[in-house]
Amino acid sequence: MSVARATPRGYLERPRPSGLADVIDVILDKGMVIDAYIRVSLIGIEILTIDARIVIASVDTYLRFAEAVNRMDIVHTDESQGLPEIMETITSGGAKSKTKGAIEGVKEKLPGGGDDKEKSERRPRRRSSRSGKDEE
Amino acid sequence: MSDNDQALYVYGVVAAADAPNVNAPGVKGADVRIVHHEDFAVLVSETDRGPLAAAREVRAHWRVLEEAGEKATVLPVRFGTVMESETAVKEDLLAPNVERLTALLRELAGRVQLNVKGLYDEERLLRDIVRRTPAIARLRERVRGLPKSAGYYDSIQLGELVAAEVEHCREQDSALALERLEPHAAAARREPPAGTDTAFSASFLVERERVEDFSAAVSRLGKEIDGRMQIRYVGPLPPYSFADADLTARSEAWA
Repeated sequence: MSVARATPRGYLERPRPSGLADVIDVILDKGMVIDAYIRVSLIGIEILTIDARIVIASVDTYLRFAEAVNRMDIVHTDESQGLPEIMETITSGGAKSKTKGAIEGVKEKLPGGGDDKEKSERRPRRRSSRSGKDEE
Repeated sequence: MSDNDQALYVYGVVAAADAPNVNAPGVKGADVRIVHHEDFAVLVSETDRGPLAAAREVRAHWRVLEEAGEKATVLPVRFGTVMESETAVKEDLLAPNVERLTALLRELAGRVQLNVKGLYDEERLLRDIVRRTPAIARLRERVRGLPKSAGYYDSIQLGELVAAEVEHCREQDSALALERLEPHAAAARREPPAGTDTAFSASFLVERERVEDFSAAVSRLGKEIDGRMQIRYVGPLPPYSFADADLTARSEAWA
């Protein structure tokens, strides 16, 4: 398996208690809507909603896809499956991280309160230079 | 109108008989308490009318409902709902909606929400797409040969073709996931993709006693799609997606 982050065995045997990143869209989008509430303003909600609903059909996304595709080294020998796979893992070392970066960059903005465990679960490579308070 | 700036943050509704004691700190750190009214109990906490710092308070909202959901069947109210007073909670939230709330509580009793998301290994997905789609492979070669500035529109076109293929994969994988999992759930909802690497995203309403059975189905699905996607399997959650009732007279969403 060429996936960088190996999936731990048995990880689907039962549901996990969630990290906020996993349920942010549910929490923002779902639940009963009632009458006669007071409108209070929500600071930072724009970032949260944009993050939860990335516009997939946008020029931005197209360019990101194009860039990701262009960066890849693809060996055009369709008939043989084994060798190209190996070659890709050798040749795409540098490109790989950039491709990932381009796509994950969108998610990078997800603000968090300061629950380190959740963050590190989702972004294992993230550095500890967080500034949770500034995000609000 | 009350003359001070106090108000109540509203988390959710439970049956009075079920009313849980929630210890998780609420929005703005306030204690969570319960407003009782006839057959219902509403989870609230004191707040002022100042703005909510969404990034922090989403977390409080979530934790309170998570804890309540472990102890009772709770109908979550949408994040950011603040009401005038206890009287408003009783008269505006509960009184006009007795039937809806009773029906929802009955329907959701003993059931939890489980969310299953498939995430593509995006590099692998894009690689597969380039390999099997000659039009994309050709366009890619052309774009790669051009200087960056000259290839702008070609790049957009390339990205658009790729996006369409990704969408196609997404459709297929969503259908597959629902086909495998829906038979083990009381209800299922497809959710919009949360990101460009989302293969599928769905919420399932599952009997508490059948969670294990459902988990086994998720496990099997995981094996079936191993390598192509990673599954994120999250829960049990209060039934956010299935208590998605609009109790407003005019169905104007909050902004």
